[in-house]
Amino acid sequence: MINAVLVFNNAGQPRLTKFYTQLETSVQQRLISEIFTLVANRPNSACNFLPLPPLLASSSKSSTPTTPHNDTPSLVTYRHYATLYFIIISTSTESPLALLDLIQVFVQALDGLFENVCELDLIFNFETLHATLGELIVGGVVVETQLDKVVEGVKAQGRVAKRPVNEGKSGLSLGGFGRGEGGVWAGR
Amino acid sequence: MFEKSLYDLIRGLRNHKGTERQYIQESIQECRKEIRTNDMDLKATALLKLTYLEMFGHDMSWASFNVLEVMSSPKYRHKRTGYLAAVQSYRRDTDVLVLAENQLKKDITSPTPTVISLPLGAIPHVVNPSMANSLLTDLLPRLSHSHASIRKKTVVTLYRLALVYPETLRPAWPKIKERLLDEGEDPTVTAAIVNVVCELGWRRPQDFLPLAPRLFDLLVEGGNNWMAIKLIKLFATLTPLEPRLIKKLLPPLTKIIRETSAMSLLYECINGIIQGGILEAVEGTTEGEEVARLCVGKLRGMMIIEGDANLKYVALLAFEKIVRSHPYLVSQQQDVILECIDDPDISIRIRALDLVVGMVNSDNLNAIVGRLMRQLRNAPMASSADDPANDRGRSSGVQPYAESDDSDAEESLRPEQRSNQPPPLPEDYRVNVIRRILEMCSKDTYANITDFEWYIDVLVQLVRVSPSTKSTSAVDEEDDLERADDIGKGIGRELQNVAIRVKSVRSEAIDAAQSLVLVESRDQMFPASGNGGQGVLECAGWLVGEYANYLTRADAVMNSLLHSTSIQLPSKTLATYLQALPKVFASMSSNEQISWTPERKTLMSLLMGRTIHFLEPLSTHPSLEVQERAVEYLELMRLAQEAASGTATGAAHDEFTEPPLLLTQAIPALFAGAELNPVAPGAQRKVPVPEDLDLDTPINPNLHSLLAQAEMEAFEADEDDIYAAYTEPIASHTVEPQHTSAAERLDVPAEKEPRSYQNATEDEYLDPDIIARRKAERKERYKDDPFYIDPDGDKGSGAITPLGSIVRAGNEELDIDSIPIMDLDLEHHHHGAEMGRARSPRRQVKRVEIIGDETLGPSDPTSSSSREDIVAPPSRTSNKGKKSLLQVDSSGLGSLSLINDDGEGSNRRLTKLDIERKEQEEAEMKKALQEVERLRLEMQRAGERLEAKGETTVRKKKKKVRKVEVGGDDAAAPEMDVDAGEQGEPKVKKKKKKKVKPAAEVEEGAVDEGEGEGAGVVKKKKKKRRQVVLDDDGAPPTEA
Repeated sequence: MINAVLVFNNAGQPRLTKFYTQLETSVQQRLISEIFTLVANRPNSACNFLPLPPLLASSSKSSTPTTPHNDTPSLVTYRHYATLYFIIISTSTESPLALLDLIQVFVQALDGLFENVCELDLIFNFETLHATLGELIVGGVVVETQLDKVVEGVKAQGRVAKRPVNEGKSGLSLGGFGRGEGGVWAGR
Repeated sequence: MFEKSLYDLIRGLRNHKGTERQYIQESIQECRKEIRTNDMDLKATALLKLTYLEMFGHDMSWASFNVLEVMSSPKYRHKRTGYLAAVQSYRRDTDVLVLAENQLKKDITSPTPTVISLPLGAIPHVVNPSMANSLLTDLLPRLSHSHASIRKKTVVTLYRLALVYPETLRPAWPKIKERLLDEGEDPTVTAAIVNVVCELGWRRPQDFLPLAPRLFDLLVEGGNNWMAIKLIKLFATLTPLEPRLIKKLLPPLTKIIRETSAMSLLYECINGIIQGGILEAVEGTTEGEEVARLCVGKLRGMMIIEGDANLKYVALLAFEKIVRSHPYLVSQQQDVILECIDDPDISIRIRALDLVVGMVNSDNLNAIVGRLMRQLRNAPMASSADDPANDRGRSSGVQPYAESDDSDAEESLRPEQRSNQPPPLPEDYRVNVIRRILEMCSKDTYANITDFEWYIDVLVQLVRVSPSTKSTSAVDEEDDLERADDIGKGIGRELQNVAIRVKSVRSEAIDAAQSLVLVESRDQMFPASGNGGQGVLECAGWLVGEYANYLTRADAVMNSLLHSTSIQLPSKTLATYLQALPKVFASMSSNEQISWTPERKTLMSLLMGRTIHFLEPLSTHPSLEVQERAVEYLELMRLAQEAASGTATGAAHDEFTEPPLLLTQAIPALFAGAELNPVAPGAQRKVPVPEDLDLDTPINPNLHSLLAQAEMEAFEADEDDIYAAYTEPIASHTVEPQHTSAAERLDVPAEKEPRSYQNATEDEYLDPDIIARRKAERKERYKDDPFYIDPDGDKGSGAITPLGSIVRAGNEELDIDSIPIMDLDLEHHHHGAEMGRARSPRRQVKRVEIIGDETLGPSDPTSSSSREDIVAPPSRTSNKGKKSLLQVDSSGLGSLSLINDDGEGSNRRLTKLDIERKEQEEAEMKKALQEVERLRLEMQRAGERLEAKGETTVRKKKKKVRKVEVGGDDAAAPEMDVDAGEQGEPKVKKKKKKKVKPAAEVEEGAVDEGEGEGAGVVKKKKKKRRQVVLDDDGAPPTEA
């Protein structure tokens, strides 16, 4: 299952934190900063999977390295869009490549909701950001992967506010990331 | 008065650069005020702001009751804010959870789908066992809600209930199954159910076998890649239980592999084939070979696709799984895999590292270790600034982050400003690499090592690249004992093992140990900063003592052991040092052939005096082990000193005077004896207990009184001084002025032996001094070899062999005699050369003999092959109970059987413990409920109007349920929300009892007992309804 979804920007400032298991606020912050340290040092050409941050690694040492327990968070997947990092922490029962696609769906849904979404949209509408995630994932389990259904679900909750005028314009540039066909899977 | 909106808050943050912390504190103060007002809009806004700040680490647990207030607002907008705040801020110990429970129940039964979604999303975050139990009855009907989005979220929420309280799955599972089997079900709901089933599946796969046909259909139908991936993962756990599935699965899986355009699906298919054991199952058939070739081929393709690091990463993951069962398949891909060890991406490196350990053999060991060593040596050590422990989260608490520059946030594609330089290797990665190297080399008792001298050099080099361990001072021995992850100790243990097991290289191993122990060479042998690798000293200290006769510079070793810095060593190391002292001393003093001359007497007295001087302060060392050894050897030394001073020296030069017997006989006899051999881990257990062994009779019946007496007398001395001596580090220690240049240290090779040498790339990972030593050895060895090309000789004219130079020189004056006659029998020649100059007669043959573990009787299969002592996974047992951060504990689910359908059994199977626990829970619940009542009254007063409204809606709904009960028609049950009206059925408006005040209590009881069927009749309607619902599922007698 998915243990946490995080979004922070290039400076490590959180934009969304969602932990599917309860965790002390201070520990959450430490985990975020550890992951940020890891992710910020990575070149663009690197793969989208992080080694475990110390907070998670130390405790998972108990299980044998060859067969990580299925309940232990052991996979940190991220994608970098313009100014934002999207991170999913999950157990080994999730498919790494599919998680990348899931992040892509998440961002595309946000893009659909905000039209050319950028970090500012997410800052000022963080309720909508949470609502969008809530349509994708409930309690750490993915409930929807179809873009239109996600967008529809968020819209059903009320009008999505536009970003305040005079704020920024340029988007997260969905195409900016990517390895060609990259994430979008065919038969989603 | 103007209140800030969230927008204002964020704007404000951005305008208060530098003083964010203060601004945030002010804002929180404002929120505190605003949240107490009666204006719900204001309250909700304040809460939203607090939730926003919580994201940055600002505690809002104090507002938990206000969260609840906002949650109970009738306005959806407020509710959403309230629920978000609850999800983000409620923790397990939040006390208003019991109150929230009622609100959750109310909203689950709301007629508006968007409202229902709120608790469905929130419950997974806040649920606890008792809450799970009572929410279940409200959640179950939502499984048949008219909105697909409600149904799918309910499925997931039910799964989370089961995680905290597995019993809830018994009534829920039949309904979930029904949804899954319903082919008319909305595909998104089916997909969500598959996700949940997959989560449940790996815990108890046997329960899900009956579903296989339906799951198979779903897989073949396809359409949703995410679901297909989950299905494949699920099948991978089912196939080991049902081999017939393999035959059925293979065609669709290979079809997907061949046809799909989605890389994730392709990968998971391959992964499924591997994990499901399908490769093994079809092995030997032509079909099987084809599948294996297909999978491995695709994986190889993923490795070499240009520029997609992700595929490389997952391919390595898959290879790692194959390597255990099909090492030969993976070793065919060795070329691409080895490349990954040096990948700039550390994630890929880690994966590759794990993988190569599984595929190492004697042919590739040197190459693999070489690559890893090169990495360790060339990457800079991580500085403390890179240590995540030093960054903001921990050091200064959570900093109030201002918003970043506007320009920054608006920029769409910021050019990367990172340097291309590889980041320094993180410490844990370093440790991991070293540990893996040791693991690979020592595998199967050194089966893969052909050249042990190379291995010793590698070990020495490893010490130099070891990362420093955290605080290790002389006193915190508790830490030391448990610091099994000290990698230096692991290296030391290897050195020790080699020295003991491989006699032919023992002298080299002791040389290495000696150079590690020597104080004056410490700068060269250990990393420049930190205390990295110091753990090796424990084993090195033991080695120089045990094999003191192999030492080339015993006096220097003695000096180092007695050095004042030794006192600062961790107590375990110090203890081995103490043990080594008399051994080295004995080797220096015991020669009985040399006359007891005045010089010798002075020398010995001096040495003993220094030893005594060193030992004296240690006799009060806080570590008992150190103390005991110090006291013992102190006495021994004093005795020896007396004997030495009492023995008269020979007057004249020519006269032979007998040295004191204590030095030549007694002390050496303490340490001489049978050679130490490796002992198998289980051997001790096999030693038979002597029949006359009596462990029950007390040795001293007066022990208690003795101890009491000792207690009284104890510690008259002022302890402070003693402790201060060990706790306060010596301000600065001066290295003894024995200047040994690097060149001098290279003199060691005088002792060295020739050996075969093939690895030309070693200089890339061994330090210059080690290489220089090797070169010198090589030169020495081949000086008679006419074909040896001396790299240092005559640089100008290219490679020159001795033969060549003779020929060249002979152009003028040919001296036939100076051309050596070559023996073309290479082996013989080699042999001869060795014999000719063999300094140590110990080794005549190249074939290395490795001593295995000694044991009694038939060896234990588990312990004989693997040597746990080497890189033993540190304190695995002690960690076992520790739960990882973020980990969900699902152990309860694993023991819950869904298949077992004998109805009565379900409840009977509760153990006594369960029952007790339940009783306890109920008692707690009752207590909590009283509290709830009190708070509820408060709440009610606040939201009188709301309460009334809610009541009516619930009333309507309840009646509906009741109707179902009467009719026994389960299909109708689902439709009970807004759409209910459409059915036009005139419902009997009869309110269910449940809404009455002490509802919670009643319900609690009902749920608990509802599962046991015996009590059914007597109870309130509530319970009855529940039972009907359960029976209606059409599931076999009980959904257990």
